[in-house]
Amino acid sequence: MVTVLERNCVRVSGVPDGRPVVFVHGFGCDQAMWRFVAPDFEVDHRVVLLDLVGAGNSDLSAYDPEKYASLRGYADDIVEVCRELGLSDVVLVGHSVSAMIGVLAWQQAPELFGALVMVGPNPRYIDDGDYVGGFSRTDIAGLLDALDANHLGWSRQMAPVIMGNQDDPALAAELTNSFCRTDPDIARQFARVTFLSDNRADLPGISVPVLVLQCSDDVIAPEVVGRYVHESIPGSVFTHLAATGHVPHLSAPEETTAAIRSFLAG
Amino acid sequence: MSGTDPVGNPGQDPRAQLGRLLEEDPADLYENAPMGYLSTLPDGRIVKANRTFCAWTGRAADELIGTRFQDLLSVGGRAFHETHLAPLLRMQGAVREIALDVVRVDGSLLPCLVNAVELRDDAGAPLLVRATLFEATARRRYERELLAAQRLAEQSEARSRVVQAVVSDLAAARTVADVAGVIVEHGRAALRAGGAALVLVEEPGGAPGDVPRLRTARSDGLPDELLHALQEAAGERLALELAEGVRTVELDDRMRSSQPAVAEGMARGGLSALVVVPVSADGRRLGALVLGLQGESGGLISLAEPGTSRAPEPADVDLLWTLGRQAGQALERARLHEETARQAERAAFLLEAARLLAGAADLPETVDRLAALVVERLADLCVIDLVTEEGMTRPVARHRDPGLQHLADEVRRRHLTAGRESHPSVRALREGRTQWVRHVPAEYLTSITADAQHATVAQTLDLAGIVAVPLVADGRRLGVLTICADRRRGAFTEADVEVAEQLGLQVALLVAKAQRYELDVRTSHTLQANLLPPEPPELLGLSTAVRYLAATYGVEVGGDFYDVVQLPGGEVALAVGDVVGHDITAAATMGQLTSVSRALLVDRPTPSAMIERLQAGWSLMGMQRMATALFATLDPADGRLRIASAGHLPPLLLSEGRAEFLPVVPTRLLGAPPAATPAREWAGVLPPGATLVLFTDGLVESRSADLDEGLTALLAVATGAGTTDPDELCDRLLGELTGSHRADDIALLVLTRRG
Repeated sequence: MVTVLERNCVRVSGVPDGRPVVFVHGFGCDQAMWRFVAPDFEVDHRVVLLDLVGAGNSDLSAYDPEKYASLRGYADDIVEVCRELGLSDVVLVGHSVSAMIGVLAWQQAPELFGALVMVGPNPRYIDDGDYVGGFSRTDIAGLLDALDANHLGWSRQMAPVIMGNQDDPALAAELTNSFCRTDPDIARQFARVTFLSDNRADLPGISVPVLVLQCSDDVIAPEVVGRYVHESIPGSVFTHLAATGHVPHLSAPEETTAAIRSFLAG
Repeated sequence: MSGTDPVGNPGQDPRAQLGRLLEEDPADLYENAPMGYLSTLPDGRIVKANRTFCAWTGRAADELIGTRFQDLLSVGGRAFHETHLAPLLRMQGAVREIALDVVRVDGSLLPCLVNAVELRDDAGAPLLVRATLFEATARRRYERELLAAQRLAEQSEARSRVVQAVVSDLAAARTVADVAGVIVEHGRAALRAGGAALVLVEEPGGAPGDVPRLRTARSDGLPDELLHALQEAAGERLALELAEGVRTVELDDRMRSSQPAVAEGMARGGLSALVVVPVSADGRRLGALVLGLQGESGGLISLAEPGTSRAPEPADVDLLWTLGRQAGQALERARLHEETARQAERAAFLLEAARLLAGAADLPETVDRLAALVVERLADLCVIDLVTEEGMTRPVARHRDPGLQHLADEVRRRHLTAGRESHPSVRALREGRTQWVRHVPAEYLTSITADAQHATVAQTLDLAGIVAVPLVADGRRLGVLTICADRRRGAFTEADVEVAEQLGLQVALLVAKAQRYELDVRTSHTLQANLLPPEPPELLGLSTAVRYLAATYGVEVGGDFYDVVQLPGGEVALAVGDVVGHDITAAATMGQLTSVSRALLVDRPTPSAMIERLQAGWSLMGMQRMATALFATLDPADGRLRIASAGHLPPLLLSEGRAEFLPVVPTRLLGAPPAATPAREWAGVLPPGATLVLFTDGLVESRSADLDEGLTALLAVATGAGTTDPDELCDRLLGELTGSHRADDIALLVLTRRG
């Protein structure tokens, strides 16, 4: 019997009695994404990293297509992990789709969470009437094609090929074992669930401090979407980062850290 | 060396020539390399691009500078860049062979494989990204085809895995319910359907021309209303529907207008289409597997635009067709298996019923226990009506569910009265034939019930079938056994009716036997009351006491007797005897014997002569049984006593505290061929105060001890009794020698000569 912590490959570090910060990665990678941000919080927080089921070193056998056919399945897992660790007043930092998973987790167990940090959120990727999400269904099909093109021969070859830094065996081992590897079928379904989700209706009811972190030039979560999220959540804080792209915690970890700290201090 | 010059320029030094060629201009090498070169800032902005890349994309270098690389990609590629490539590059410092499509200036796509490295400063911060791009149109096309082929192969493999799983699960399925479970589960999973159900054609059993009925054997995820609407819609066209193969019915305007109930059910279940798969075996159509497909709200999110249909692919249709046939064969197997099990169950049931009936003593208790057995094994309600002297009685009405027994009690109160000629039980009794009611509509119940309340009770029982079996024995109609099934159990089958008839036969025999038995008992009691001799008269000089104890089981009348007669002149004649058997004939023979012996007393025969005359006249008198008997004459005045025995136990003499058996030599039994010489009489004197005890073998014989032990015990009890009062002595003997459970009658005559 795999425990909840094993299932989500949960790693806990930092100060045991510090305020817990739970980092949840988005679509495409795993907890390694937080490597430039997490160490800073380990100084004065209890830091929890996890892999969503299907990603990284999570237990692939726990992947149940029916459960994970909606984001709620992932949110259930996060609530379970927090309960298992006995956390409270959690700062839930969710990237991309996990920003919305975080909202669902809060809905389910509001008593666990003290703040939500939404990094590059997008409650509905596909344009819908006046609403601009940034994508059409055809675009999503194109992303699935790109996934397919890059997952060819995944199980035997992909990890060693992608692995770039041949000189660092420790890194190489880490990469071979886990880094951003995903079962193609799971990746496809996660992509569908992610990019076809619509959580706009969940935003107005949020009653916990929220920080929306918006990057510059983010094609996955355009600024107009970030503003929509901010305006839909009463009392939320909107911070526009100079960082470009969709992954500020990799491209501009200092700025990202500072923005989160400033929000938590305020 | 001419002629072998690899560069083909005769007259010059080839080595020098090659050297000059390889002394390439690095700038030219960069610009015109057979691959695209790009340098970008960490955020993707292009700072340098070679001519090859410009030529491939149709863009000028100064147009490219300042543009972000990801903005040159297709939208899907851009998303992949953001979610995969950029993070990997940042974390690993390099990526290789990433497949992306670069958009040319004319909008066409250039499939590429991208390698990139990140240049970092000493602190690890990114400075620059260098990327090379290989054109990979052919390779990417090949890969796409490979992937498509792989997908197909995987799907085909998945389908054969489904078939394998179905075949193996069906092999383990024992019952129709098991089969339904397997087929619904796998069918639903194979099509990722929102719901599935197996509906089966009810076994034909109704009248010819009956529309076959459908029954839902298993449903998972489909609204009940939808299944009901489908069954209604199928109606008489069912056979046609099933003949059409795997069919997909979509929820569209046509459906909404032609089958509003079905459309409503589909909408309620969030279904966009129904797939109907015939389930058949050897050409027999057994039913259908119904799969409900959902739109994009379904289990697996579809990329299809909302409202578009999700008709199964041809390969899936083939798969479903196979599932339908596998299911059909498994159903036939399961039905055969269930039928065999049911037959064994029926045989066991009949055996148990037979055992119950064979051990029966009391009729009301037996029918009650039988009804309990019937509702446990065969039916939901069991009612038994019996024809008695007082008219129709209904000794039992039993329901399977104790919670509904009050309804059965209501039913029991309604006897089969006149005016309900159409009631199946009345008809069964009148026609002497089994009545089988296969469908029980409300109006039918109204027609066979006695009043409104009765009708309500019958409605509440929710009956699906009634079978009424007449109880007939020796050509006499003794009653009716009626069993009912409710809708939960479903209609009775031919086999059920057969079981009911066999049971009816057994019950009829029991009832007949019980009625005969009851008659016998009543007759025997009447006879016995009339045949037993009256209390002995008051006799001068003698005290007497008599006891007659019937056996505690059996007919309660036997052939034991005693007699005490005052003869003219003071003598007293005594007799004790035992006619063989414990039935009405024994009682009758005993009565005759006492009458005849009294009549013979007119001639004052000696005891021996009495035996002689009885033996001589036995066959003339038409006596049907043999008997043992003891005859004696006693003169109370002087105590002279003569005794003769025909096969009877000797009498006991109790005198001055000592007890002994008088040595009377017995001759043959009455009714046996007479002996050559007359019976030898014992003659003696009964002293004053002495007591004579005459008895039958019931007093000294028991199942657990033999006769000698019994006689010894009698001696002991008589000796130790310490009384010569006949009544007291009788009570002591019976109290000590007999239990409450007697297999035989006892006749006891005690006589004391007053001192």
